[in-house]
Amino acid sequence: MSEPMLTVDNLLKHYAGAERNVFDGISFDVPKGKVLVIIGPSGSGKSTLLRCVAGLEPIQGGTIALNGQVIDRGEPGNEKSGRAKRSSQLRTKIGMVFQSYDLFPNRTVLGNITMAPVMVQKRPKPDVEREAMELLKRVGLADRAQAKPHELSGGQRQRVAICRALIEHPELMLMDEVTAALDPEMVHEVLDVVLELADAGQTMLIVTHEMQFARAIADKIIMIDSGGIVETSDDPEAFFAHPTTQRAQEFLRTFEFSRHRRTEKDGAGAQTA
Amino acid sequence: MLDWAFVSRYAPFFVTGAEMTLFISVFGIALAILTGLVCAAIETARIPVLRQIVRVYIEVSRNTPLLVQLYFLYFGLPKLGFVWSAEMCAIIGLGFLGGSYMSEAMRAGLEAVPQIQRENAYMLGLSSRQTMLHVVIPQAISTSIPGVVANVIFLIKESSVVSAIALADVMYMAKDLIGMYYTTYEALFLLIVTYLIILLPISIIGTWLERRFDYAKR
Repeated sequence: MSEPMLTVDNLLKHYAGAERNVFDGISFDVPKGKVLVIIGPSGSGKSTLLRCVAGLEPIQGGTIALNGQVIDRGEPGNEKSGRAKRSSQLRTKIGMVFQSYDLFPNRTVLGNITMAPVMVQKRPKPDVEREAMELLKRVGLADRAQAKPHELSGGQRQRVAICRALIEHPELMLMDEVTAALDPEMVHEVLDVVLELADAGQTMLIVTHEMQFARAIADKIIMIDSGGIVETSDDPEAFFAHPTTQRAQEFLRTFEFSRHRRTEKDGAGAQTA
Repeated sequence: MLDWAFVSRYAPFFVTGAEMTLFISVFGIALAILTGLVCAAIETARIPVLRQIVRVYIEVSRNTPLLVQLYFLYFGLPKLGFVWSAEMCAIIGLGFLGGSYMSEAMRAGLEAVPQIQRENAYMLGLSSRQTMLHVVIPQAISTSIPGVVANVIFLIKESSVVSAIALADVMYMAKDLIGMYYTTYEALFLLIVTYLIILLPISIIGTWLERRFDYAKR
């Protein structure tokens, strides 16, 4: 694999007043142009891990490096220090799409997308608008450029949010359960866009509950639970077919539904954790 | 029945009174909004010391009647050497009372902006100033407008108290007419009509503003 775009080394995360660490020294990397998918049960800290990489959460140990350059270094006792002090320029290099579709409500679709490149990257507005329209076309929303966010469906908003992050040409994209708040019929339209991005060579770090999607998009997979990495795999097909650890086997089984299982367990535990 | 001849004869008094009411209200409310903005900014930015001062001001302002505040300004301060005109006292009084109400409405608006909006702005690389100006404040305005409009109407009504320090507003006119001619019904009728003429348009504009800026709630 090529050189790593993102390197997380021995990351330690602790919440103020909590007894246990959220992460006890997690290490992994995302190679350039590849997609790393993080899976794990609810409460295992998948989203927190993404938020640490994003700089939204302070870390108490270890380092986060982008392209070999350390951008965040853990400091014990900084639990309440808020978001990491990263420069505007650095922040544009990491794009993020959140679970709840939250565009800026006071701006149009086009306004949402063009705002940051014009204000932060100081690019000329006509160029930015042209690119924004191209992106909207790519996600099938060119005709909604002048709409206000509240006029769009959840799936449409999420696609706009992806465009808004993409237009800054981030080196790394973070996707935090981007379909978790969507109605089932809208999941596909969003995930298709993400799959296309992966084909185009966008480096991504994805947290998801959609196992089929994870299987389709991942170049590399890690499963986390109780503060650490349970299993890492460079071969998603093999991972989903035959997970090595017992914990991963158990976890993946929670996504299976069968009549046999229902009668056996009386329906208990049939939800997706 | 009302004495309509009396009503039409003394209606011009109420126009003069309304001018005074509006004069006091416009400047008083402008002062209240300014005070509110400064206090809300201090509280939201959690500036130490200043923040405690703002809290004390808000509690004193909200928990004392405007009449008492006006008496203090008009009759009390001269004893300490500050002599202000009745108009000045009325404007400062309204500003002092309204500032705390405005501050609370604006602070509620600022605090209602979801954290994730700031996080999105952070990820997009916006500076804290850009985030405030282009993300937080537009949404805070949207949420604050109903409260601010309600406060404007409340303060105009509250301005009726200034008649107590001999300012000839609409309330003063009504009391004057009742005192001189015992025409209670006619005077109160004119008083109510004048307040409605002043306040109804403001209420309608307020509703329009709420609709125009309601994007943060959708």
